[in-house]
Amino acid sequence: MPQPLSAKESSLFRQVIRNYEDKQYKKGIKAAEQILKKNPKHGDTLAMKALIMNSLGKTDEAFALAKVALQCDMKSHICWHVYGLLYRAVKNFEEAIKAYKFALRLEPESPQIARDLALLQIQMRDYQGYVTSRRAMLQPKPHIRQNWTALAVALHLSGELSEAEHVLTAYEESLKNPPSKSDFENSEAVMYKNSLIAEQGHIQQAYDHLKSAGKQNLDRLARLELEAQYLVQLDRNEEAAKIYRNLLDRNSEYKKYYDGLVSALSIKPTDHEALMAIYNEYADKYPRCDAARRLPLDFLEGNDFEEAANKYLTRMLDKGVPSTFANLKRLYSDSSKLTVLPKLVHKYIEHKESNNEGDEVVKVNGDTSKGASAAYYFLAQHYNYHLSRDLEKAIEFADRALMLEPTSVDIQMTRARIWKHYGNPIKASEIMEQARTLDTRDRHINTKAAKYYLKNDDNEAALKIMGMFTRPETVGGPLADLHDMQCMWFITEDGNSYARQGKLGLALKRFTTIHNIFDVWQEDQFDFHSFSLRKGQIRAYIDMIRWEDCLREHPFYSNAALSAIEIYLKIHDKPLPNGTNGIGEESAEDIVEKKRAAKKARKEAQKAERDALAKKNEANKLVKDADGEPKKKDDDPDGVKLAATTEPMTDAMKFLTPLLQFSPKSIDAQIAGFEVYIRRSMPQLPYHDIPELIGFSEKYLLALKCLIAASALDREHPKIHEQIVRFKLAIDEDSKTLPSQSQDAIKSEFTLLSGSDTTAFNNAYLSKNKDNIKATISGFKVRRTLSPKSASEVEKSIVKLVNGDFITFDEAKEGLELLKSWKSGQAEAFKASAADKWPKALAFACKESSLPVR
Amino acid sequence: MDIRLLRSSDIPHVQHANITNLPENYFMKYYLYHALSWPQLSYVAVDISRPQKSPYDYPRIVGYVLAKMDEDPPDGVQHGHITSLSVMRTHRRLGIAEKLMRQSQRAMVETFSAQYVSLHVRVSNNAALRLYRDTLGFQNESVEAKYYADGEDAYSMKLNLSEIREQTAEEDLLLEQDEGGPVGSLGSAEGVEEKEKKRKVKMGRGLGVGELVERNESQK
Repeated sequence: MPQPLSAKESSLFRQVIRNYEDKQYKKGIKAAEQILKKNPKHGDTLAMKALIMNSLGKTDEAFALAKVALQCDMKSHICWHVYGLLYRAVKNFEEAIKAYKFALRLEPESPQIARDLALLQIQMRDYQGYVTSRRAMLQPKPHIRQNWTALAVALHLSGELSEAEHVLTAYEESLKNPPSKSDFENSEAVMYKNSLIAEQGHIQQAYDHLKSAGKQNLDRLARLELEAQYLVQLDRNEEAAKIYRNLLDRNSEYKKYYDGLVSALSIKPTDHEALMAIYNEYADKYPRCDAARRLPLDFLEGNDFEEAANKYLTRMLDKGVPSTFANLKRLYSDSSKLTVLPKLVHKYIEHKESNNEGDEVVKVNGDTSKGASAAYYFLAQHYNYHLSRDLEKAIEFADRALMLEPTSVDIQMTRARIWKHYGNPIKASEIMEQARTLDTRDRHINTKAAKYYLKNDDNEAALKIMGMFTRPETVGGPLADLHDMQCMWFITEDGNSYARQGKLGLALKRFTTIHNIFDVWQEDQFDFHSFSLRKGQIRAYIDMIRWEDCLREHPFYSNAALSAIEIYLKIHDKPLPNGTNGIGEESAEDIVEKKRAAKKARKEAQKAERDALAKKNEANKLVKDADGEPKKKDDDPDGVKLAATTEPMTDAMKFLTPLLQFSPKSIDAQIAGFEVYIRRSMPQLPYHDIPELIGFSEKYLLALKCLIAASALDREHPKIHEQIVRFKLAIDEDSKTLPSQSQDAIKSEFTLLSGSDTTAFNNAYLSKNKDNIKATISGFKVRRTLSPKSASEVEKSIVKLVNGDFITFDEAKEGLELLKSWKSGQAEAFKASAADKWPKALAFACKESSLPVR
Repeated sequence: MDIRLLRSSDIPHVQHANITNLPENYFMKYYLYHALSWPQLSYVAVDISRPQKSPYDYPRIVGYVLAKMDEDPPDGVQHGHITSLSVMRTHRRLGIAEKLMRQSQRAMVETFSAQYVSLHVRVSNNAALRLYRDTLGFQNESVEAKYYADGEDAYSMKLNLSEIREQTAEEDLLLEQDEGGPVGSLGSAEGVEEKEKKRKVKMGRGLGVGELVERNESQK
């Protein structure tokens, strides 16, 4: 029950509300205090004051005050509404919903409260609740179309498709005059209804509706695409073909339309002649069209392929199109095409050269040396590509291309990539920097240069380079700007680099930032629940909702999450001595490195001090974020607190849960899941009470669940092999502490290890995968665990792997890391052999030359 | 290379392409604002020849055009605006930018009855100027001093979309003939006129996510 106020104060109270709405916060507080002088226990005023304080960034005080307000006036809907708004502001949507429901019970007619509640329900995907709210909101205002559409959306999302369709029809039938065909809201509503009909599988109905109500729809493209699609589904191929031709005339660069036309014409995929007739038709009709020329290369074979590829290559190389290789590399999965393509390019060069009597400068259309340099450039990329790699040749062709076009950024970029593949990040980064200076105003090459600095673990230089294109006015410098602009690649690569350097705090900090940006992306949809209804673009809104529902399956998320989990595992296995950003795994082999690190740490500490001082001086300035909201100060900018965690496995769950929920088919996610759960299941103390014991076996089951899921994806994966054996060893060891019930459960589920002889199991795996280096390393690793006395024999066997024909650079690096982690005496021998094989790689170089001069 | 409409799920990679190529960047919500206000206008170029790396691979965006309608046209004339256009350096010289622009321009006319499309371009950006002026037929309207954050001036450019408008009207006519509807230039001319009149009332009611619009206009 609202407490009564005098007339003067009532008008003051209305002013407080106005002030809040107009964001005149100081005035609002003043007016509220004026009321409170005479009525110190006036709940509504206290609540409004709390709301305004929250807008001023005083969240804690606002909550405290809102509670006082509620104590003064439990029956005020304003107090409850404000309480809900405060919870909403701190993103505690569940509590906010509760508070709104209280408010709505006290004031069922309030449209504001109903709207706020509905918005939270859809944000939280409480579809049932949302349907109820939207029904209630429609009743008082049935003349507004939005309210009908909103109810239809609610029903649609909760899976009640025909109900949703009926709601839209009910509105249409209530109209006395049909809307004009230029009424955009109506035009979109028609298409939305059409999508509902089709989603129910009523294709004929959808088609009829499209051809009547949707006949002159303003979204012409959607109209055509749907018509074509329905006609195909209705087996009316002739008509469908006509529409696909129409679509191709609008846009001849869309594979889907060619595929549609081909299937509508009932052309068999093997009938190359008929297919080529189609593609040639469009290639002739649209001289600048790429798709009609490129797509046939996917299915053509033999001589036909060679001829078409030659034509395509000649056209692209003559024009000097730098993306020619990128456009064709997918064909390399076919080994005959992999051989033909470079052959054709070599021929192209010979032809050019013979026409110019050895003069390498070839004129194409009176232009420069495009043709030849583009061909050399293609070959450089060809020999740099993993399926056709020959780095010496790659460098040779890149250099030749460079002779013709000494200022080409693209060629320099490829040279840098070649050096990256040589395993020399220093040299790669130097060349990329050279490329950058060739065109300092191009952000793309600037980005690449920064990325290569990060690959070389020079984070400072990377950030400095990035700073050339960030907004100078952003408080907090380039890094803050990159955060504001959600520059995912930089934050992730920066984190990976810190992880390599053992600066686990900073690495965790970056990956946590990625996690938080995904939170922001999830919250970003909030405003659109109401915005899209006003705009009337319902199909786009539904598309957004569906995408947001699986937002975190995006590789931008899973990559960062996997890296973060890896760090937490490291912290769990080997807590850092100082728990911060020290060198993580100093193997004591490198004193110089250690000293350098110490020196660097001193410098960093001094710099941090200077920065802190500078920040202090800046503290008086109001720091605002991109939304103009006051920015919360970061009390752990370097992630020191993150890395100092005493419960790394609990912290890892923050990343693991979304990973397993949204990317269950990612084998890396399942592997990470096993690693976390198996560690969580390790008893921390020798004695535990019963409840913990239950949790303990549960965690075994969770680890097993990941293991089973992963092995279903790839049974022979080396990591899965290791995990199967480790799981077996772990449950055997804990057989005494595990309750017999859960032991039985585990036994019935865990059938991956046939027989109980782990050694035989491992030997079988080794002989089955003897040509697979990664699998062999895993097998050796397991052998060493099973039989510690085989250690020296295992280590020697690993050294032998380097001399095999098929080992890749990355596999060799892995092998060396493994030997080092065992502190094996064989590490040096391994390194020496690897150095012979990869003479340009830094990872195997001997000490003196490997020390980069920075 | 596919040229197709932008979808919400493309946005992270569009944002990636943007921040890799251009100094003017936006957070996700601004892209969503475009995708959910004028879903017919923004297009992407997708590298479809890239081998799939995981079951959760998203299409790799190598070029995009982010476009909108002016929500509150000062002259009352419906027109489109190009917010951002870029193509990855590795995929230049394939004509992607032009193709993206043409798709967007067409949709501006068809769906929103745009009379013209406007954009800003750095006075030093010769490659972009060649595309807009020589290939697409844009004209310089004015120079906006210090338009960009780094102090560079911008050309404000415009392209009259009358050609596409005529083409669209012709297609409407054909469609009606096809369907056995009313035939004749009189009928269709009236139809077009009526469309314009009514559309003016429908649009420009400041329906935007208010703050978002204001800030980003000034931010560029």
